[in-house]
Amino acid sequence: MSPATLAVDLAAPLLAGVLGTAGAGKLFGRSAPRPASRTALARLLRGGARAARALRWLGALELLLCAALLALPPSVSVAAGGAAAALGVGFLGYLGYARRAAPGSSCGCTAGDDGPVGVRAFVRAAAVLAGGVAVTLAEHPWWTTAPHRPAATAGAVLVAVAGAVVLAPDRWRLLWRRLRLRLTGHPLDGTRAVTRVPVTATVELLEHSLAWQTASALVRSALLDHWDDGGWRILQYAGVHGGGGAARPVVVLFALDAAASRDAVREPAVRVSVLDADTGEAVALTA
Amino acid sequence: MSAYPTGDPLARRRFLTAAALRGATVIGTGVIGATALGAVDADAAFAEPLRALDPAAADSTFVEGRITWIDGGLLEVAGSWGEYARVRVTGATSVWKVRATTAAAIETGDGLYARGVPMPDGTLAADAVWVNIVNLHTTLRGIEKDRLHLAHGSHEIVGHVLADTTSVSYSGAAPTVDLSRLRIGQDAQVLGAWRPSDDSVELVRVAVGPGAGHRR
Repeated sequence: MSPATLAVDLAAPLLAGVLGTAGAGKLFGRSAPRPASRTALARLLRGGARAARALRWLGALELLLCAALLALPPSVSVAAGGAAAALGVGFLGYLGYARRAAPGSSCGCTAGDDGPVGVRAFVRAAAVLAGGVAVTLAEHPWWTTAPHRPAATAGAVLVAVAGAVVLAPDRWRLLWRRLRLRLTGHPLDGTRAVTRVPVTATVELLEHSLAWQTASALVRSALLDHWDDGGWRILQYAGVHGGGGAARPVVVLFALDAAASRDAVREPAVRVSVLDADTGEAVALTA
Repeated sequence: MSAYPTGDPLARRRFLTAAALRGATVIGTGVIGATALGAVDADAAFAEPLRALDPAAADSTFVEGRITWIDGGLLEVAGSWGEYARVRVTGATSVWKVRATTAAAIETGDGLYARGVPMPDGTLAADAVWVNIVNLHTTLRGIEKDRLHLAHGSHEIVGHVLADTTSVSYSGAAPTVDLSRLRIGQDAQVLGAWRPSDDSVELVRVAVGPGAGHRR
C-alpha cells in the first residue's frame, strides 16, 4: 500500500478529529455568544445573537460530520467527505469576505479564537477542504487500514497533531508554550549568571544622582556615546554652556562605577566634566 | 591641553576618558532626572513635554513621522497627521536606534521622533532623535531563547532579544540583563525599536510586575 493510499484512507479519522474539536467548541463553549458578536459573521448576518445561533448550528453540523466520518465505511462516507470539502470551500469564501469586509474582526472559526483573520485561519480552512477531498478518494475503511500499518498510522497521527499545534489559535499555543517551558526549563536561564550592568541601568543611576541635577541644565542631547574603561563607565552627552551671545557647544561627560546600579548603590559617586566642543578645553560646571 | 580630536574614535574616547576622570566628583542622590528640556533617555520620547525650567533655554519642539527623504544631515519627515517637517541632524545630535548610534544609521522609511529647537529657516535643529522607537503595553505570550512573543491587543508581536542590549526591570527595580525571571502571562511594558522589514520589535527595555511603565 503506497503512502498516498494510506494517507487517503486515514484522512477520515484525522478530519473527524479536526471537525470534532472545532464543533464541540462551538456547540458547547460556554462563552460562545460573547465572542460571536466580534466575528465577521455578526456583520454578515447583521446581529451578534444570530451569529451565535449560526455558530452553534455549524458546531452541530461539524459534530455530525465527525461522527459520520468515524463510523461509516468509504462507500457511504463519500457524501460526508463531499460535505466536509464543501464546508472547507465555504470557510475559505467566508474568510475572504471577512478579510475584505471587516478587517481586524475575528473569524469565529474555532471557539475562543478572538484574533483577527490571519494566514493560519486560511490554512485551517484549506486543510478541511483537502481532508474532505481525501475522504471521497478513500477505498478502505480506516479501521481496517490502521491495524495493518501501526507505525505509519502513529506517524500520521503525530504529523496531524503537530500540524494542529502549529495551526491552533493563540490560546492553545499558549498551553503548548507553557508546557514546553515546564519540560525544557526557562530558555533564558543562561542570562541569570551575567553580572554585567546594562547601560540603561547606569543611565538610570545617573539620572537619580545629584551630579545629574547639577549638570543637567547644560545637557541637550540624549546619550551620544558610552564606553567602559578601567572599571569606569563614561557617558557622553552634548550640551550648551552659557546663554545669549556667550552660548557655546560643550561635551558633557559623566564617569560612574561600571558595576553600580540603583539597586546596589544609594549614593552614587559621579565625576562630571564639561569640555568645550570645539577646543576640548575644560569649562567650569557652573556658568 | 591638546585640541579635542574628532577623527579617530579610539583617540577621541581616550581623550574624553582622561577628561572625564579629571572631572569634579559629586556624591549623592538628586531628584529624578530632567533637564531644562526634559529627560534625555529613550523613555523621554514618550514623556509629557516639560515646561522649560530655565527661561534662557529655548523652547524645544517635538516632531514625529516617517522619514521620506534624507539629504546629508537634513531629514524630511511626513507626520502621522499629514503635516510635514524638516529635521536637521548635526554632530551634537544624539541618535537612538536600538542603541546610541550615529546619523549614518538612519534610513529612508524609518519612523522618527525628534526633539529640538526651531530654526528661522523652518527646519528643526534636533538635539535628540529616536528612530523607530515604540513603547507598547503588552502581555507576554511566549518565551524563546532569542525572542519573546508578545500580545498587543489582538496582535501578536515578535520581540527579538538582543544579547548586548535587552534589559528587564522587575517590579520597578534597576534594569538587569537577567531575563530568567520572565513568565508567560505577565504584563510587560516594552520599549524597543520597530523593525520595518518584518514588522517585529527589537527589545531594549522590558518592565514587568507592579510599577511597570510608571517609572516617570
